[in-house]
Amino acid sequence: MSLNYVVAMLLIALGLYCLLLKRNLIKMVIGLGVMTDGIHLFLISMGYREGGIAAIVPAGMLQDNVAAGFASAAVDPIPQALVLTSIVINICIVALALSMAIWIYRHYGTLDPSEIRRLRE
Amino acid sequence: MAGMTTIVRTISRLLFPFMLLFGVYVLIHGHLTPGGGFQGGVIIAASFVMIWLAYGLEQSPIGFKLFRTEVLEAIGGLVIVAVGVVGIVAGVGVLGHVLPLGTLGNLFSGGNLPLLNICVGIEVAASLILVFYAMLRKIAWDEK
Amino acid sequence: MIEIPPIMAIILPLFGAFLTPIVAFVSWRFGVRRQVCGWFAVAIIVATFAIVASMIPAVLGEKILVYEFGRSPPLGINLVVDGLSLFMALMIAGIGSLVAIYSITHMQHHTRLDLYYTLLLLIITGMMGVVVTGDIFNLYVFLEITCISAYVLVAFERRWESIEAGIKYMIIGSLGTSFILLGITLTYGTAGSLNIADLMGKFAAVTSGAEPVPLVMVLIPALFVAGFCVKAAIVPFHAWLADAHPAAPSPISALLSGVVVSIGMYGILRVVYMMLGALTIGPILAVLGLVSVLVGVLMAFGQHDFKRMLAYHTISQQGYVLLGVGMGTAIGIQGALFHMLNISIIQALNFMCAGAVLYRAKTRNFDELGGLRKSMPVTAILFLVGAFSISGTPLFNAYASKSAIYAASASQPLYLAIAILADVLTMIFFLRAFRLVFLGTRPRHLLSVKEAPMRMLFPMCILAVLCIVLGVLPRLGFNIVGTAQEAVTNPSNYVGRVLGGV
Repeated sequence: MSLNYVVAMLLIALGLYCLLLKRNLIKMVIGLGVMTDGIHLFLISMGYREGGIAAIVPAGMLQDNVAAGFASAAVDPIPQALVLTSIVINICIVALALSMAIWIYRHYGTLDPSEIRRLRE
Repeated sequence: MAGMTTIVRTISRLLFPFMLLFGVYVLIHGHLTPGGGFQGGVIIAASFVMIWLAYGLEQSPIGFKLFRTEVLEAIGGLVIVAVGVVGIVAGVGVLGHVLPLGTLGNLFSGGNLPLLNICVGIEVAASLILVFYAMLRKIAWDEK
Repeated sequence: MIEIPPIMAIILPLFGAFLTPIVAFVSWRFGVRRQVCGWFAVAIIVATFAIVASMIPAVLGEKILVYEFGRSPPLGINLVVDGLSLFMALMIAGIGSLVAIYSITHMQHHTRLDLYYTLLLLIITGMMGVVVTGDIFNLYVFLEITCISAYVLVAFERRWESIEAGIKYMIIGSLGTSFILLGITLTYGTAGSLNIADLMGKFAAVTSGAEPVPLVMVLIPALFVAGFCVKAAIVPFHAWLADAHPAAPSPISALLSGVVVSIGMYGILRVVYMMLGALTIGPILAVLGLVSVLVGVLMAFGQHDFKRMLAYHTISQQGYVLLGVGMGTAIGIQGALFHMLNISIIQALNFMCAGAVLYRAKTRNFDELGGLRKSMPVTAILFLVGAFSISGTPLFNAYASKSAIYAASASQPLYLAIAILADVLTMIFFLRAFRLVFLGTRPRHLLSVKEAPMRMLFPMCILAVLCIVLGVLPRLGFNIVGTAQEAVTNPSNYVGRVLGGV
């Protein structure tokens, strides 16, 4: 089992622990971020090919027949595109969550979800 | 809200144009090097946020108009959808290439990609600037 | 008939969503009334409904519409409209347009109307994208668009109740979509493709049950079921719904309870049932559905808040749909799909009635309401139609769909008994609600309550007429879902059309 996958699983587990068990809204948002980082790491490591080059056409390859040599030497670019999209979506969610956390803090004076009435249930 | 010390203010004021230039570089060369619309837009937004954090929202040396940024964001989204529709009208399918595909590796090549990168970059930069502006203004307003 | 590709059903609301702030600004500059945003949104959603309706003749003629972006599948992304997608798209566009008409009157006193209509158009775009796409990561992206718009709409009114409900919904919903993303990751690692048709072909060999199932093939359906059950509010993951649906503005509650939770059920049908083969997890889905039915009805018992009680009934009725899907037989799937259509109509009607009462009487609490039948007679009749419909009374639409689900679960008498018991309890609770709100004596502070405005009553009347029509002619309802059920139980048509290219 490659080291990448072990670290990714560790990050997902840590993020899940923070999201579910911490008593502070900002820490819960950080936990969500760590968990999605773990999933992204897992996804990128899945596209790795042994001894492959990055998925960018270097200047030296422009003269030859580009398509045949490049496609067999590069790592898989599809997971990288998926991760980019997912990072953008997560920025939106984290921005929304932090805005709502600011509103709640100004009203209740605390960020503890067990104090806030509806989050207690 | 209070800004930071003189050292931070000076360095951020010096760095601001270079950060903007780097963001625009990452944005425009999106089809050749790593980066592209989203990454360049985030760097541009980060340069604005750096100035606001260093100086505080009231005393910042940037002239920021809220309405212009909102209009820029809406225009960015509209141009992307319009490029898609133009693709349908011209018969090449949604988001098909209507600009010429040049030779591989040139800056002016790649069909629709540079135009889409620029539009995405404008939209992302405007959106993130608005998000941070709203958060900073809410905190400043609550402190009064 | 002009050949309009299915992409227009997604682009039109998206275009409208980006144009709404500009329309609002132009109308403010020229001093036109503020309602023009609302009429613009209604026009766009009705146009979307017309586009979806124009695809009906093609799909009913046993043809599946495929639209490709660039390269042909399995390399490129494509949009596929088959019977199931068309059925869901009609439901979304129809209820979306009625909700938009309702919200013109209901929301007219709010200040941020341009934001509201932008978000409404974005949530319709997201849902259209989910049902029309043929690529599993594209489904995840559109699902996130839907959910983020829903989070903001739940927290729209900026009262403390709404913001707290918004945060709770957001954290639980993000957990759910993270599970879906992890499922997509494992799917890509196992099969090497992201196209739903391609994956159906590749997984068909494994699910035919020849050799023992590897661990990852157990993990993938589990993750997908967990993720989509969070969206559809099935029992272990239902904690967000009771707070989120009452706290949203009333037209949005109607949209959320009617259609957005059905998107979770569509995800289970398309991804888990068609792609992975539900034979091994069917019983688990049926048990989850049954527990939801019971828990939803029992927790609606002591509620003092009108909309909160209706929200718990949403959980219960979605449990019926999952019970039908879990049973796996053709009659079960047909009953489940028909029930999905029925509860979207019925719950939209119920939440709109609650919204009308809230609009006039300014309260949602049962203890403060009473005796409204003299001054709001039409609303009272419409709520009575909704109450009879949701309990499965004969001559109303849910009777046919619930009978189909009972017939499918007749092989397990325990399930049948619990489902019928929950049905009876639903009827009791709804009649209690009707008595508390509309019958009895009127308290002093409600003496000046008038009937709801005509523009709010109009969409409610259309929904009630649909309830009665589908109830009196159940054969019509089963014909409508017949094509969808064909699509679900025969995925080979889908695979052949997309990969073969007729």
